[in-house]
Amino acid sequence: MNTKKVILSAVLTAFALVAFVIESAMPPVVPIYGVKIGLANVFTLFALYALGKRSATAVLLIRVSLAAVFAGQAVSLFYSLTGGVLSLLLMISLKRFFPVKRLWALSVLSAVMHNIGQLTAAVILTSTPQILFYFPILVVSGIIAGAVTGLCAQLVLLRLKHIYDKNF
Amino acid sequence: MKNRGWIIVFASALIICAVWWLCITAFSSPAKTVGIYQNGELIEKIDLTTVTGEREIELSGEYGRNIVYISNGSIKMKSADCPDKICVKHGELESSGSPIVCLPNKVIIKFEDASEKIDAKAGAAG
Ligand SMILES: [Zn+2]
Repeated sequence: MNTKKVILSAVLTAFALVAFVIESAMPPVVPIYGVKIGLANVFTLFALYALGKRSATAVLLIRVSLAAVFAGQAVSLFYSLTGGVLSLLLMISLKRFFPVKRLWALSVLSAVMHNIGQLTAAVILTSTPQILFYFPILVVSGIIAGAVTGLCAQLVLLRLKHIYDKNF
Repeated sequence: MKNRGWIIVFASALIICAVWWLCITAFSSPAKTVGIYQNGELIEKIDLTTVTGEREIELSGEYGRNIVYISNGSIKMKSADCPDKICVKHGELESSGSPIVCLPNKVIIKFEDASEKIDAKAGAAG
């Protein structure tokens, strides 16, 4: 990684953290774990497409760890880490099939993966298979949230293409 | 796959899951027996119709206490020391709705299946 990439990754991490803090300060849409937009993911997606997988991994892992510190909940670290890592692995491995124009579709897949990962972690951690009840809701929420965050990242990337193509 | 292909795939998944969810919630029996679980273990099974007056059940977990409150045939999480309070915000448990979940303290309150009730009755009869 060159210095420019490191600095931009750090800036993206800071933005992602701010997005996370703002989102968690808002009242939940539905009182169900895992149903949220996941605005912070816009920055992970941006990092993946503009800077590459190493930057995206750094942005995700640092954001999730710092978010757990800021929110003061060690319990949420495990859930967000499981979901986050699974969805990032999926994005990294499938990225070559998705040009920026279809980034939104990859984002939907990864958001659904994220929610399935979190749900599985919750089932294991609480040893309560009844939570699987939420499966369809989390898939629906993943599709909607993934499309929103994916479109955000996609629109920004298409507009900034001439800048990052020249510089990175 | 083109954009349109993905839209079709996701729209179908969306519809399937919405119908699935409606089936789970709409066709669930009007059960009145509630199970309270912690760490996956049944703490107590309560027939809400038999509770007269009010009743409070206190549970303690990693993140402090949860107070379950029963009155007039309904059950809710009255207060909790967990950091997110999602369990309290859930309000009353509805037979067509989702279970009350407190992930930090690993507490779940849900209606028991009708099939379980029938099994229990058959067991008692036989
Ligand atoms: Zn709670």
